[in-house]
Amino acid sequence: MDNKALLHVNNIHTFIGQFHILEGVSIHVPKGKIVAILGRNGAGKTTTLKSILGLTPPSQGSILFDGQELQGQRSFEIAALGIGYVPEHRAIFRDLNVSENLKIAERKKGDLARKEAFIFDLFPDLKRLIQLQGDHLSGGQQQMLAIARALVPDNKLLLIDEPTEGLAPVLIEQMMAAIRQLSAETTILLVEQNFIVASQLAEDYVIIEEGQSVKAGKMADLVKDPATIRRYLEAA
Amino acid sequence: MTTITSPQTNGLGQFFKNNRGVLFSIAGLIFLPFALTLLDGQSIGSMLANESGLSKFYQGLAIEIFILAIYALSYDLLFGITGLLSFGHAMFFGVGAYLTGIMLKSFSWGLLPIIGLVAVAGLVMALIFSIVLPRVKGITFALVTLGIAQVFYIVIQSREMADLAGAEIGLQGVTPPAYLNPVEQRLRFYYVGLVVLFGVYFLYKRFVDSPTGHVCVAIRENEDRATMLGFNTFYFKLVALTISSITAAFAGAMHGLFHPIIRPGIASSHYTIAALLMILMGGIGTLDGAIIGAATFKLLSFYLEKWFGGTSQVIIGVVYIMLVLFLPYGIVGTWKLRGVRLRDGWRDFLQRLKPSQTNND
Repeated sequence: MDNKALLHVNNIHTFIGQFHILEGVSIHVPKGKIVAILGRNGAGKTTTLKSILGLTPPSQGSILFDGQELQGQRSFEIAALGIGYVPEHRAIFRDLNVSENLKIAERKKGDLARKEAFIFDLFPDLKRLIQLQGDHLSGGQQQMLAIARALVPDNKLLLIDEPTEGLAPVLIEQMMAAIRQLSAETTILLVEQNFIVASQLAEDYVIIEEGQSVKAGKMADLVKDPATIRRYLEAA
Repeated sequence: MTTITSPQTNGLGQFFKNNRGVLFSIAGLIFLPFALTLLDGQSIGSMLANESGLSKFYQGLAIEIFILAIYALSYDLLFGITGLLSFGHAMFFGVGAYLTGIMLKSFSWGLLPIIGLVAVAGLVMALIFSIVLPRVKGITFALVTLGIAQVFYIVIQSREMADLAGAEIGLQGVTPPAYLNPVEQRLRFYYVGLVVLFGVYFLYKRFVDSPTGHVCVAIRENEDRATMLGFNTFYFKLVALTISSITAAFAGAMHGLFHPIIRPGIASSHYTIAALLMILMGGIGTLDGAIIGAATFKLLSFYLEKWFGGTSQVIIGVVYIMLVLFLPYGIVGTWKLRGVRLRDGWRDFLQRLKPSQTNND
């Protein structure tokens, strides 16, 4: 086990209703790195992120974040420890404008004032559209806002789910550049269906198949291993 | 760089600029009794001595609007801002009114301790409602609050409580303190009502603009997302509920002071629906809309009843349907939305003028 890891997910099992969704997932996320969770649709990638945040609490296993056990804690307590979550489908507050969406994310007074310059440097579009209602933003802009919102408080770890889903190629490039820039500041656990994107961003990977983490390692090694890619990631 | 945070460091000038419309309305309402006196040909001296006339009559109507507006504001904070649909809001109002009446009539308390008692009662009621807050949401919460409020409604009408609360006839013979008697000191009551209303309004504005207020708005928009941001939503809902219930109880206390008979109808579900109608007409979640909605509600029912008598209820029903059809966001909501759309449209138009620049970046 990597002693410098910020997050240790050890053999978690999660049920949603009567369905056993995660049947043993282990992930180690070293501080300052980007780790990608890979796998086919329905493998349990999003449930893994939700289990870390306590939205679908695991029934077995342990989750250590920065030395603290997350099991048994409630979602808002886990988030307040410094975990930012960017859910899939651009979960912004659609009836509020960009400025209000960012203000809401303040955990301490002055959070936004300190982070404003960094956020607008990362996503200049948001500065231009500051008064525009969330609903009127394009898909890419909504995704930028969702990530920007997770940057307002001092988060040590970002859980980002499908950041490039449904985006035009030029926007995917922009989003990748932003995530790369972000990784200099914070640790990122990324769920990404697009293997090309994931392979260019992440240093480490974990593959989840049918609710189990089946393979993990360096992304550089995976790229050179077409058999594993075919076995776990290409359409069955 | 302080693009978002700079408006928070505004001064008095900015306050006047942001609240121009409201401040003009307050100025108008301050001079309204005098203007009506002059219109009626009455002397200012006799109006100041609270003699009967057009001015005194309309002061009374305005006081009723002020009280309803405070009540509507409290419902807007709970439902419009925080998204908690309660069908038991009239209980807060009813408790405020009945406590005031009973303490004045049966226990001869002074106004100051009554205000303290009403505030405590508001807090206790919020705590009672909050027992179910973490367990039920949406329509289930609404129905539980309806159940609790109906218990109170039945209790105040009961025969056993008749000596205190006057059963179904209502509480009669309450003598308000001489310095705030709605008959002898109507003009003073009018200005007290005006101060309380806009005091509550500006406090609410401040609250909605505070970090706590922002979280309440986030809860209304999507409670799960607010939780993901690290907020214990229960505490924020409890804060909104407490402020709302205390405010509604104060509005009830003013009602108890102003009306010669405190009728049990003010604690019925009809009165909660009235609050909902007021903020629907004015614009949900806008605060300004609660005041506009309360004025529209009261003036509509007053004039339609005056002109059409018994058939006025049918006409009021038609007017409500028309309002919902043509002003789905309420009066203030539609007004603001139109503004936003115009501005957004203009911004979109400007963006479209230079698409090649952004693509080349």
